[in-house]
Amino acid sequence: MKKQLKDVHERHLAGDLSRRDFVKYCALAGVAAGLVGGPFSMMSKALAQGSIRFDGWGGTTSQAFRRHAFDPFTKATGVRVIDGEFGDMDTYLTRVIASFPPGGEFNLAHLSGVFDYARYVGLEFHSALDESKIPNLALVMESMITPYRKITPNALSAVPYNLGQTGIAYNTKYIPKEKAEELGASLLWDESVRGNLGSWGEWRTNIWYAALHTGQNPNDIQDIKAVWDALRAQVAMVKKYWGSGAELMSLLAGEEIHATVAWSGRVAHLQSEGYPIGFLAPKNCYSWQECIFVMKGTDLNVAQQLLDFMLAPEASIAVAEGQMYPPSLDPSKVDLPESIRKLPAFDPTGKLEGYLFADPIYWNSKQVEWAEQWDRIMATS
Amino acid sequence: MKENKLRPWLLLSPSLTAVFLLLVVPVLFVVVYSFWLRAPTGAVIPAFQFGNYARFFEDLFYPTILFRTLRVAVICVFLCLVMGYVPAYFFYRSKSRYRRALILLIMIPFWISFIIRTMSWINILGTTGFLNHTLMRLGVISEPLSLLYNEAAVLMGLIQYLLPFMILNIFVSLEAIDKNLLEAARSMGCNEWQAFKEVTLPLSLPGVSAGCLLVFVLTAGTYLPPMILGGPGNEMIANLIFKRVIGTLDWPFGSAISVILLLLLGCIVWTYNRYLGINTLFKAFKG
Amino acid sequence: MKLKVSGWSLIRLYTILVYVFMFLPIAVVVVLSFNPQQFASFPMQGFSLKWYAQLAQNESILRAFKNSIVLGTLTALIASAIAVPAAMAFVRYRFKGKNTLNTLLLAPIMIPEVVLGVALLLFIRWLQQPKSFALLLAGHVVLTLPYVLLIVQARMVSIKRVYEEAALSLGANPLQTFKEVTLPLLMPAVLAGMLFSFTISFDDITATLFWATAEHQTVPVRIFGMLRHSVSPEINALGTVMIVFTIMIPLLAGYFIRRFSKS
Repeated sequence: MKKQLKDVHERHLAGDLSRRDFVKYCALAGVAAGLVGGPFSMMSKALAQGSIRFDGWGGTTSQAFRRHAFDPFTKATGVRVIDGEFGDMDTYLTRVIASFPPGGEFNLAHLSGVFDYARYVGLEFHSALDESKIPNLALVMESMITPYRKITPNALSAVPYNLGQTGIAYNTKYIPKEKAEELGASLLWDESVRGNLGSWGEWRTNIWYAALHTGQNPNDIQDIKAVWDALRAQVAMVKKYWGSGAELMSLLAGEEIHATVAWSGRVAHLQSEGYPIGFLAPKNCYSWQECIFVMKGTDLNVAQQLLDFMLAPEASIAVAEGQMYPPSLDPSKVDLPESIRKLPAFDPTGKLEGYLFADPIYWNSKQVEWAEQWDRIMATS
Repeated sequence: MKENKLRPWLLLSPSLTAVFLLLVVPVLFVVVYSFWLRAPTGAVIPAFQFGNYARFFEDLFYPTILFRTLRVAVICVFLCLVMGYVPAYFFYRSKSRYRRALILLIMIPFWISFIIRTMSWINILGTTGFLNHTLMRLGVISEPLSLLYNEAAVLMGLIQYLLPFMILNIFVSLEAIDKNLLEAARSMGCNEWQAFKEVTLPLSLPGVSAGCLLVFVLTAGTYLPPMILGGPGNEMIANLIFKRVIGTLDWPFGSAISVILLLLLGCIVWTYNRYLGINTLFKAFKG
Repeated sequence: MKLKVSGWSLIRLYTILVYVFMFLPIAVVVVLSFNPQQFASFPMQGFSLKWYAQLAQNESILRAFKNSIVLGTLTALIASAIAVPAAMAFVRYRFKGKNTLNTLLLAPIMIPEVVLGVALLLFIRWLQQPKSFALLLAGHVVLTLPYVLLIVQARMVSIKRVYEEAALSLGANPLQTFKEVTLPLLMPAVLAGMLFSFTISFDDITATLFWATAEHQTVPVRIFGMLRHSVSPEINALGTVMIVFTIMIPLLAGYFIRRFSKS
């Protein structure tokens, strides 16, 4: 009977792939899968060794972390550091919230802004660090730690890691330095940049600069209607709202836009590559600081040890050179090299006087309403 | 031969279980969430109220974006059809021995990450991009044109992504046409164009409509091309879902928008199914 | 007659233009991967392989590449393993609610991935399960299932019942019939479906961003992460490697199959 079946099959098979060949095909696929190693072997490896997860910005930053903090740490303790990936800040928070147990699979994260710290604390993802176990924390500027203490007075859940500013980048071929400095924040509303203007798609930054343009204190906006009007007028001038540092840099480098709000580190990077891009930090420029946050449920002993490795001047300086944001180290306590001292947003005094940060309580309380209103303005040009 | 009543269900059970557990139940979660409230911290509060839906229709903003999405989807379907029919017809009539290879070739773009493919348009259409460079070299223009960050650029990205779906669908339904019919038409005195109009075109319509449906639905749910290639005012409904769910952690409202979009797409698919039959889609997808 | 010739050459020209449109972005990716500058612009300023050198040292992307291949292969195998019986049921049997169920199995195409991505996470959290590779795999299976089903079902329709009935009348049981008659006839469609499924799994970004664990990131997720801080031409180099890889695999597979069947 078997033979007859074969006949039935073979008679009508003409032109199609035979079963035997298919088996070979499968075998090839199987061999390939075997060569690259099953996913399960990787999983068991991770479980066996003990590991901690760090989510950061990737690229040169993560390479610097790996070389100067993670690898030495693994060598000293035997605990592996798994490099995660953000996607972007908001996507990351969504993933943290949706994880089980809430925040459980995540350990350390390179969060930006004190307001982000407040968001995670508000959602109760914070932990309580023992500062005495992180000796290198003593090297950090006190002025950078204070904002976190205000939110969680009993114990920190993060260590400050670096500074940064969202200033204005402009192409010096099209916009002379004197003009930019004279106009300040209002450069972003100047007729000469119409059609060649860029901005970040995020709501906070745009509202901040509209507040500066309308002569208001960004941390206490009295006339929000004026802000919306200014932004409405600006949307018509904007060519592109960028969404990532990569986009920001390629827009500026390709001369697609001549002026935009910009992250200081990204601009420093462009300048070091020789592009004619100027960086302007107008009065009350939007300053921010990033921290390494420790999620609830993390093994604190391991986390504190790792944080100490990350804060060690050698690691901290290497990371700062990679991402071009000044480290949180206090220049009066640590001898910082020239490469760090000339980075934008660097404060040689370590006191951060004159730096204006976003008031986390103020901005977080406005988020739902303002973010949506901003989306409405941006989407209906 | 006796037909076993249980057998089809047995055969279907693995895929139904998968789709039920990983799609139907999660989507029910979305429906439930759409009635909930958002707490100021970003947490959610169980409730039963229609506030999120009311918010969608409270002014013209969200309906406008929804309408824009549908408009872009229709334009995209039309352009894919115009650009896709001729190549499909070419494959059908061509006697080249590389025909199969050419059809496979159209799948190649799928293998380069969607993000890379979409971003590549920036290097083509940008101020210092390939197109401006070439045109300036040829002396056609003296100043670079501003081609990027508008609806046309978004459509370029979308078409590049979706055209293979359209071409494959049309090609497959053309392939199914009995070539004797064409001979018959010609022997009855039809010229090439008439034969095409009277025989080939009507018989290829199932593939055309299946391709259109697929392109339409995929466009309506996309958000990367508007994000990367669009300027202000080119965002589509999926971008807003993304912003509500991810940006402001407003899962209840994001869920409500999703439910509205799902209902709308559901209506379209249902209508299609009613008048053309979902089976056309299967026929058209013949490997 | 003359008119016909020029009509045909117009069609050919049109097709060529469409191909140019489809492949222009890909050609640009390949060309710019040899660009020495960090930011791509035309004209190119020389020729360099440095991005390939960097890529070869980028461990995380290589790991992601491995993950993507394992994930795509498993997705393709599982999706076709469950799609083939389903296609059988739809084509060979008559039962109540067939059309509805058929539409339901197509639903993964219709639902925006952002929604599906978050929805599945909500469900998993409700079940109090951590994310895992299994979840990612299951999600990808559901995402690609409709494509495999569409292709296999279409092929199944065209396989005439006579062959199966002949086998049955010769005394074979349904399982034997399937194994000896139906499956071999179906194989091209199953392979095509697997290829499609692998491709879509390999390229998926939106849903994967939500489902992937740190240990199992795929290539698109890595690329998305790389965009944040640097628009590295490494991405172009990676794209080129993927193209070469794509064209090589079918060629090699074809070559080996021919070699094996000769010996």
